[in-house]
Amino acid sequence: MKKALLMLALASPSFATTFFVTVAGLGGEPDYEQRFSMLAADTDKLLRGAGGGDRVVETLKGADATKARLTASLNRIAAQAKPQDVLVLMMIGHGTFDGTEYKFNLPGPDISGTELAGLLNKIPATRQLVVDMTSASGGATAALKRENRTVITATKSGTEKNATVFARYWVEALRDPAADVDKSGVVTALEAFHYAQTKTAAFYTEQKRLATEHPQLEDTQHASAFPLVRYGDAATTVTDPAKRDLVAKKEQIENQIDALKYQKDLLAPEDYKKQISALLLELAKTQEAIEK
Amino acid sequence: MKPRLAFLSLLIGIPLGAQTIQQAEALWRAHDYVSATTAFDAALKANPKNAEYRVRFGQFFFERYYPDEAAKLFKEALELDPKNAQAYYGLARVYAEDFNPEAIAAADKALEINPKFYQAYELKARMALEDDDRKKAATEADAALAIDPTALDAIAIHATLDLLEDKESPWLAKINNRAKGYETIASLLVINRRYEDALVYYSKAVAADPELWTAHSQLGVTLMRLGRPDEAYKELELAYNNDHTSDAATRNSLKLLDTYKDFETFTTSTTILKLNKKEADALRPYFEHVMQWAMSVYEKKYQFKLPRPLQVEVYPNHEDFAVRTLGLPGVGGILGVTFDDVIAMDSPSGRPPGQFHWGETLWHEMSHAYILTLTNYRVPRWFTEGLAVHEESATTPDWGDRVTPEIISAIRDKKLLPVAEIDRGFVHPTFPTQVIVSYYEAGKMCDYIASRWGESKLLDMAHEFAKNRPTVDVIRDQLKMEPEAFDKDFQAEIDKEVGKTVTNFKEWTTGLGELNKLSRAPGSDNNEIISKGRALEALYPDYVEAGNAYVAVAKACLAKEDKACAMDEYARYSKASGRDADAIKQYAKLLDEAGKPKEAEASLERLNFVNPLDTDLHEKLGALYMKTKDAPAAVREYAVLVALHPIDVAGSHYNLAKAYQAEGRKDKAREEVLTALEAAPEYRPAQKLLLEVSGEGN
Repeated sequence: MKKALLMLALASPSFATTFFVTVAGLGGEPDYEQRFSMLAADTDKLLRGAGGGDRVVETLKGADATKARLTASLNRIAAQAKPQDVLVLMMIGHGTFDGTEYKFNLPGPDISGTELAGLLNKIPATRQLVVDMTSASGGATAALKRENRTVITATKSGTEKNATVFARYWVEALRDPAADVDKSGVVTALEAFHYAQTKTAAFYTEQKRLATEHPQLEDTQHASAFPLVRYGDAATTVTDPAKRDLVAKKEQIENQIDALKYQKDLLAPEDYKKQISALLLELAKTQEAIEK
Repeated sequence: MKPRLAFLSLLIGIPLGAQTIQQAEALWRAHDYVSATTAFDAALKANPKNAEYRVRFGQFFFERYYPDEAAKLFKEALELDPKNAQAYYGLARVYAEDFNPEAIAAADKALEINPKFYQAYELKARMALEDDDRKKAATEADAALAIDPTALDAIAIHATLDLLEDKESPWLAKINNRAKGYETIASLLVINRRYEDALVYYSKAVAADPELWTAHSQLGVTLMRLGRPDEAYKELELAYNNDHTSDAATRNSLKLLDTYKDFETFTTSTTILKLNKKEADALRPYFEHVMQWAMSVYEKKYQFKLPRPLQVEVYPNHEDFAVRTLGLPGVGGILGVTFDDVIAMDSPSGRPPGQFHWGETLWHEMSHAYILTLTNYRVPRWFTEGLAVHEESATTPDWGDRVTPEIISAIRDKKLLPVAEIDRGFVHPTFPTQVIVSYYEAGKMCDYIASRWGESKLLDMAHEFAKNRPTVDVIRDQLKMEPEAFDKDFQAEIDKEVGKTVTNFKEWTTGLGELNKLSRAPGSDNNEIISKGRALEALYPDYVEAGNAYVAVAKACLAKEDKACAMDEYARYSKASGRDADAIKQYAKLLDEAGKPKEAEASLERLNFVNPLDTDLHEKLGALYMKTKDAPAAVREYAVLVALHPIDVAGSHYNLAKAYQAEGRKDKAREEVLTALEAAPEYRPAQKLLLEVSGEGN
């Protein structure tokens, strides 16, 4: 995961910008209103506080989260963004699906999946991530799916209509360093998805309730390429030109580790253990040398 | 429920010919139950006004394990013929099987219509015996025998009464090797928790009639309860294969036995612990700890050692556990059950997190294992349950269930039973919460005896019960007072303890609603919440459940940034047995921030007895133990965290490696840190630790 991120970081021009748009839709009742707005506010705070390159963060919640405001916001990004930029759209709230069309519930007129796709298609940023965390969000996938656009939904289909808990855990993933499972200092969309998916499933199991949402991720391969939040000094070490040889060696060892992991089932456990131990120790020593 | 519907659905689609009641009866006798059902149904359709046919169909359904359908038919028969004694008796049997005290009224109705209906007396005798009212049981049985001297159930009841009192019984010879008689004796012995004795009589029943499948089934169920699964399986399978649509107990017990392959067994010289493989590594340290701890406490207290290893079975699926209690009285909402020295209980994963204190459940059940063995199972229900409830908080005062609003209501409505009659509150409850109320009352009786006569008096009483003496005699001899006087003094003690809560219950109920409203309202005055909350706590200090005043007050304290006030409040909440995970974690955080990590550890340790499957809890506890340099405890916590397969695989293995390192176990530390790095090769702290434990560090 780290390797893929590193390659992308090296390949992307330094002036690439990530546009984050978070929308908390209509709650319908005070509890939901409060919950959705709070989740959106937390997301806003976490994104603004996180390091890692140029980022533009915009959040629409409460009375501001109208179709007109969302349309204006996405149109503005369409005017500003360049192909190398990244767009991340996060939707929190209720959704509906009538069998053919998904709608995201907003104060005033709702926005349909097709309308949303139309707006996103106008944005030149090649890499796009849509995280639709509403009920029935699975019904939006067909409309939103496109090459280079990763789509995450809280539900498997448009027929899972109950209010979701996925959003709660998605936001928690942005806050909890435990979500960074590869300890790269970055929580990627893939890591956040796995975190929220696991916690959502655990929620229903623990509460002894039938799960009414089954989070989905379209395009697993690219999801690891969306860094959402960064911790500590991630990425600074790898971009230091003075350590180029050591960095190259490190990458070589990492490749060997990946290759060895793929062969794990083919090797005798003792052989595997011996080899992986040696490589991990070598990697640790190399990293130590880089940091000297 | 599904098999029943499947069975009934067979009716649909089978053409209804001109079948007669005689054909239905013949098919029933021939064990062709599906065709018999069709024939009965046809006979009813052809004779819609015939009450007798409905009664027979009801009796058929009752025998074939469909009590609801049977009850419906008996009621329909009574609408057609209000003077039908058989219909009343049928209803009485349905009620009695469910331990519903309405059975008595139905049996009385049958007798009113037909005073010679001796079976109704037999049923009343059986119910009296279930209540441990042995005198009444004998009287009712005698009434049946006066009508028919060969009445088998009445003879069996007399025989059981003798067996319960360890007497040679002349009645046994009168059974005359009739299997049904032995079966009745065995079932009554089960109700009185004499499981080993019940095995003897179920065995006699199947020897007398090898085709009495109900006895084979119950023999299997009893063997399973006593931890003899292989023998149990044989009997249950025999019943299942021969009894066509056998009862739920047979089917579900077989299903349960099939799941035993998913369990792992851990044995010591004194314990056998069976845990589901998927949670065994996480639960084992805590369960083994409580088992050993309770054994050391009880051995000292009861001056007695269990003769055989104690077996504890922990079921993650509540329905599996519930199978172990089928057919027993007073088991609604039950968490654990003891059969001799075998304990079956819910796993912490069997219920939503925080709803179940498994530690006190195991502690409670272990008291039963000791007391039942010590008294050779000759102890009344109220005493063994009361003592077990007493024990829940006797060693650890912040354990044990507190007095609930339902119990307060019962006290207010004067629904507590006299000590001489309390057993019936467990077996034949007359109001929905009576079983819970009876547990509370029995527990409080034991608390009261311990406080007035000393803890050792409870053991003296247990020894007296072991001599098979009735409650009233033991009260008189041991407490030197009449049972009525005991009830009076006990009531005065209850009044002293919860009288204020009972008197102000309505005010408290209203006040708590207002407090919660105030707490939720934005911009509320925190000082007002604190003062109102504390006033409510004074009215009902035991209330620590949802919406309690303690947590509301603590939150208000925190809102005004008064951490000392919040800590004080959480301390009172914990002392009163409050165990909400978020509140306790908040309390631990405050304690840690205040430089009291040991106290923080203690507060979080309490949660291990409530939800040991909470990864966040183990992470926090592990960190605290590392801080206080208690490496073995940190290893335990982090090892459990790893066993729970947390999302952060690398982080959890790294923490465990650090704990091993602190414990001086470098090899284990290296092993764990390599596992962490395998998951996250670039994890810097883990890389540094690897270099350190490999001797490559700076």
